[in-house]
Amino acid sequence: MTPQTQSATPLVQMIDIEKHFGGIRAVNGVSLDLYPGEVVGVLGHNGAGKSCLMRILSGAMIPNEGSIKVNGETTEIHNPHDSRDLGIETIYQTLALANHLNAPSNLFLGRELKTRFGNLDDTKMMSETIRILKRLNPNFKNLNDPVSSLSGGQRQVIAIARAIYFDVKILIMDEPTAALGPSETAMVGELVKQLRAEGIGILLVSHDMHDVFELCDRVIVMNKGQNVGSHPIEDVTKDDVLSLIIKGELPHDWVPRSQEKTQ
Amino acid sequence: MAVFDRGVASAPWTLKLTAGSFHKLSALLTLAALILVFSFGNAAFFSVNNGLTVLLQTSVIGLLGIGMTLVIITGGIDLSVGSVLALSGTITGLSVKAGIPVAPSMVLGVVTGAACGAFNGFVITKMRITPFVATLGMMLIARGVALQLTGAAPISRLGEAFGVLGNGSLFRIVEKTGGIFPKVVFPGIPYPVILLAIVAILAAFLLNKRQAGRHIYATGSNEEASRLSGVLVDRTKIFAYTLSGALAGLSGNVLMSRLVTVQPNEGVMYELDAIAAAVIGGASLMGGVGNISGTMIGAFIIGVLRNGLNMAGVSAFIQQIVIGFIVILAVYVDQIRNQR
Repeated sequence: MTPQTQSATPLVQMIDIEKHFGGIRAVNGVSLDLYPGEVVGVLGHNGAGKSCLMRILSGAMIPNEGSIKVNGETTEIHNPHDSRDLGIETIYQTLALANHLNAPSNLFLGRELKTRFGNLDDTKMMSETIRILKRLNPNFKNLNDPVSSLSGGQRQVIAIARAIYFDVKILIMDEPTAALGPSETAMVGELVKQLRAEGIGILLVSHDMHDVFELCDRVIVMNKGQNVGSHPIEDVTKDDVLSLIIKGELPHDWVPRSQEKTQ
Repeated sequence: MAVFDRGVASAPWTLKLTAGSFHKLSALLTLAALILVFSFGNAAFFSVNNGLTVLLQTSVIGLLGIGMTLVIITGGIDLSVGSVLALSGTITGLSVKAGIPVAPSMVLGVVTGAACGAFNGFVITKMRITPFVATLGMMLIARGVALQLTGAAPISRLGEAFGVLGNGSLFRIVEKTGGIFPKVVFPGIPYPVILLAIVAILAAFLLNKRQAGRHIYATGSNEEASRLSGVLVDRTKIFAYTLSGALAGLSGNVLMSRLVTVQPNEGVMYELDAIAAAVIGGASLMGGVGNISGTMIGAFIIGVLRNGLNMAGVSAFIQQIVIGFIVILAVYVDQIRNQR
């Protein structure tokens, strides 16, 4: 986090978010902020509440307590529609594709392009799909086939394309590289850097330490529904982060690593 | 599925069929084979008159099948259409008896059907009851209301105007011969057939060209993904069930008008014919797959079978057995195709 981004208004502020299911507090008073052009890694065990937190931001889940500010203004997100209207796009771990539909139908699902008479404009949707997919994967063919017949990588590309096509400002990526091979993972990495340069804020949920340390500017670690640490990436090592994930606290002798070097 | 099967020519030198068009082709061939076999069996089968009769007989199953297809694509089922058909006809009949003109009475009947469908949709989406149970409940409710309103007695003497929708026809050409019976050159296209054609085209247009149709496919294909993509899943489902109910109401009016009598116990087990038509036509009960043209072929396979077997003097019981086997065979062919 550079000083200039710190002074700007955060793209997103989630303040004291709480979500409980019966007696279980999945998310317990978590606050989080994200600045333009920043990549924040959201880390934690399975069941630490990170997916829950992301689902709240993307409108798939409604929090019990807490508020969300987008560009400094308090907003209410009741459903995925609201969230998309605010420029928040999500790439789900499950990809959230309708298997029987083809690539353009999936890319524009819920936001279909229409002709003057309100009919679906399949020609336009197809040409737009070709244009955007070319940017992500030049040798993408069989766009007319149902997406169930495509490879895991191709399906992932469609899910990514769907998130970045529509004027995205805040991108949530939930394990975007879990199903991908090495070259496709590198492509996602390039894309993240490119989007960051365009001033888009990215929340990256990942288990892959290598990805996190290569791509993120800052990490937020969750443990048992609580935010146990938010640190610029240059202040922590992989061991520090692992300690946060597992124990919920930093090693006893920890000092910010960037200060350590200057001393 | 066939919505997306236009021109996937990845390898131009091989004739590659997509799954949907393969199923439709096999269904179409079955229909052609049936017509061929029955034509050899009985000279009267392959005639303009009998052709129009088959069309007329199929129109009710066809209308029900279109509504059923919409519901099945969303991943649901509507067991109530047979009963809703009877209730709608009953409401129309009672309205006519109450002195309301025929056309508004029929509209009232269709609206009743739509209301039953909307109730189904409400129970399924808001009360989270499975479609099978919800529409089973409506099946009993609608039948019970129809029987209660009429005391299980048919309503007759509804006037000539009531019979026009079911018995009238367009382009009827009659030659005056001077005798008592005029010579019928062309019997005309029955109104129910024209109605079926219009509804089928509208429904196909809805599914392929409108956002609501796309959302029906998406909801049936992956409900959670559709919700996350901003599709109003509940509204889409209610829409599908309402249309199914309205079409059941419409077919109820067509059927009762053909009989010029309202029969509150008409339409028993029609829902099964409608489901059979959709399934033979390639719709998947798992959702996400199905189309109107397939269902039309399925409805006509059932219609041609009934008519042909009747003309061959085969009993109604054996007809049931044959249609039962056809349904199983159609789904089996579909499975083999999916395994390739």
